[in-house]
Amino acid sequence: MPFELIPPNTNIDFIGKRYLCFFLSVAVILAGVIAIPVRGVRLGIDFAGGTEVQVRFAEGVPVEEGAIRKVVDDCGVVDASVVRFGELGATDYLIRFRAGAASKEPPESGSCPLSAENLKQLAAERLAAAGAEDGSNAQVQRLKLALGNKIGALEVQRVEFVGARVGSDLRRAALYSLGLSSLLILVYIGFRFSTRFAPGAVIALFHDVAITAGIFVIAGWQFDLTVLAALLTIMGYSLNDTIIIYDRIRENMTLHTKFDLGEVLNRSVNQTLSRTALTGGSTFMSCLALLFLGGPVVRPFAIAMSIGIVVGTFSSIYVAAPILLYLERRPGA
Amino acid sequence: MSGNLRVRLASVAATVLLLSYFAAANCFSEQTRLASPLIPDAGIRLGLDLQGGIHWVVGVKLDEAVAHELEFQRSALVEQLTADAVTLGATSVVDGRLRIEMPAGADVAKLNAWTQDRGVLTPVPSTDGVLEFTLSERWKKEVRERGMMQVLEVLRRRIEDPIQGIPDSVVTRQGEDRILVQIPGGQIDRSRARDMLKVTGFLEFKIVRETAQSEELLRAKHPNGLPTDTKIAFERDKESQRVLSAFLVGVQPDLTGDYLEDARVGFDNRQRPIVTFQFNPQGGEIFQKLTGEHIGSQLAIVLDERVYSAPVIRSRIGSRGQIEGRFSSAEAADLAVVLRSGSLSLPVAIEEERVVGPGLGADSITAGIRATVASFVAVLGFILFYYRFSGVYAGIALVLNLTMLVGLMTLFGATLTLPGLGAFVLTIGMAVDANVLIFERIREELRAGKTPRGSIGAGFNKAFWAIADSNITTMATALVLYEYGTGPIKGFAVALAIGILTSVFAALAITRVLYDIYPGDRHVETLSI
Repeated sequence: MPFELIPPNTNIDFIGKRYLCFFLSVAVILAGVIAIPVRGVRLGIDFAGGTEVQVRFAEGVPVEEGAIRKVVDDCGVVDASVVRFGELGATDYLIRFRAGAASKEPPESGSCPLSAENLKQLAAERLAAAGAEDGSNAQVQRLKLALGNKIGALEVQRVEFVGARVGSDLRRAALYSLGLSSLLILVYIGFRFSTRFAPGAVIALFHDVAITAGIFVIAGWQFDLTVLAALLTIMGYSLNDTIIIYDRIRENMTLHTKFDLGEVLNRSVNQTLSRTALTGGSTFMSCLALLFLGGPVVRPFAIAMSIGIVVGTFSSIYVAAPILLYLERRPGA
Repeated sequence: MSGNLRVRLASVAATVLLLSYFAAANCFSEQTRLASPLIPDAGIRLGLDLQGGIHWVVGVKLDEAVAHELEFQRSALVEQLTADAVTLGATSVVDGRLRIEMPAGADVAKLNAWTQDRGVLTPVPSTDGVLEFTLSERWKKEVRERGMMQVLEVLRRRIEDPIQGIPDSVVTRQGEDRILVQIPGGQIDRSRARDMLKVTGFLEFKIVRETAQSEELLRAKHPNGLPTDTKIAFERDKESQRVLSAFLVGVQPDLTGDYLEDARVGFDNRQRPIVTFQFNPQGGEIFQKLTGEHIGSQLAIVLDERVYSAPVIRSRIGSRGQIEGRFSSAEAADLAVVLRSGSLSLPVAIEEERVVGPGLGADSITAGIRATVASFVAVLGFILFYYRFSGVYAGIALVLNLTMLVGLMTLFGATLTLPGLGAFVLTIGMAVDANVLIFERIREELRAGKTPRGSIGAGFNKAFWAIADSNITTMATALVLYEYGTGPIKGFAVALAIGILTSVFAALAITRVLYDIYPGDRHVETLSI
């Protein structure tokens, strides 16, 4: 006897419960839309431009976010955000500020904890006068020395600087890539399915991307390039379950001409339920592995993928299938 | 075993073995690979985010090239028309336009004839009494392209220089006006690399007319302002930037670094590093003449507006010279490379910078491998538990799938990035999807009362299109990502795309062949699935 997650004769009335699911979907999407003006879309430095510095303090150095923030502030870097980064107990911190965030005052005269020795070193590296033209090198070097003086031994692990022009180019590239992917998938769906099925698949697809992106907005998480990669992957992947269910619906419609449409849809969803759950489940497992073990840098990607796969699996059942009730004309619909 | 099966088994085995051979290259160190004739030379390349390094996107200010060109056209025009006795008002280059004020009654026809003759200027509408031109689109494109190639060439010579440059660095063009500089290894002195990139390297030789301790003292000698066509240049202390001496020199250089043939590091008689240089024959002639005429004067050696040294000319000098400037030997070496590579004709700015330390890269690799292993164990455990004997087939397919993925990436010389490792993890989860679709279909056929053999055939046939559909759409998004993404994201797209190829092959070819071997044509009562 094979092991079965979902018994073959399962018959859950998905179609009957469609209103509840529609309501939930619409509610989440609406919440996401409302959150756009309320919470604002937080763009990471890839898209907004700016600087991100990951510093790691030596073990045993007592570190506090507040203390770091004060040093950063004192050194004239305006509007910086400081967060702990990485695993629990890690001594990594991420300092993020806008591109070319100007110094409020020359660091020499300010309260920036730099010794005369440091200033001499900065001058020798010809950084004292370096402007925004030069990436963020000057600010990063200054912060590194100041934090080292005030808080304790540290290493700069990573510096990412994206200038305003590159940021806007990447924003445009992101929109183009979302647009082009949608177009390619639309063409493919149009080619593979009759015009009766295509709209349902498309709606399900946009539903998945909208909810995933919406949750990011609601939670106030940042959009960066890896999140974009996740959204595009979700677009390509979430169609899989829908295609399987649609194939079955098409098969059943010719097989059971006597049943009304709701019955056919329900039967098809139930018949394919185990593979929907298994394919989604195995990929979801991989995403969880990435989320918990993949390290902090890929975490935003893993979060987006995990959400997208769950939403995509459900949407193929409760969006893609029931929506055919409204697109198909058949007695009993 | 039928002939058909034998052929299929052989081709599947050949593919798998060939890719495994390339994948295996990654088990050996680079030295071993290069030393052994049996092992492929190249392994998977690690992206800068995994091995540590600097990724720079450098913007080239091509608008300045256009401005330079307009300025050049302006002076040519003034020269020509003055010679033709045409009266012109003030001429200037503003906002990418050449602006000529024409006094009333001026010979506009002659001016127009001149510009048409040149064919590089396009008139634009402007107010009365003023003529305005821009560079023609075709010429503007040409000028920008030329500027871009020049800057790319100079940066290549500086950064990729095999001896004095930065080892393993790669300088490539990116788009219309950007240059991508990739410097692997986390131990690079970033300030030094940045200097190599940004220094203009414009070397000038100027005869010193007067010298003083400071600008004020020098200006005090000329209460009515500096003589025409002269300016003040400074020698500064390297650390404090304090002015050591001020020199009154001509605005135009007497000789420039354009005539240099070579520049090297040397040592003076007190063993301090200096940079020695040699002019080409043409430059040597000019230099001989210049030094011969100014014996007893000081010669200022000016690099990027800054006086490095100003030795007194004691005798006529041939084609060789040296620059002293209290250098460290590293600085002298860098300066020599900069001088050899020629000067940057256009300013550049770092527009994107991603620097990863080697420690962080190693952490990322560890985390990526941990996630891959966890994902692999979980998924493998799941299919073995769920599909029993058939799960073993799926498991074999999964292992070979990953091997082929690594093999193909090695073969293509693809770069593995951190998001690329994410794609590995994802591939594991998505790869078994195809197996699940086939197996579930087989189960269904078995339930419908078909024989195991018939069910297997039907399962593969009926699942084929679903598998194709799902992978084609994911492939489409991977290709789009490759087109639009930057470094690490491109790495993700490549790994995802290759993973899709190998997954489809593993599910449709490998599992199929396994089923054909057992049960194959045998009559079996049950199938463990």
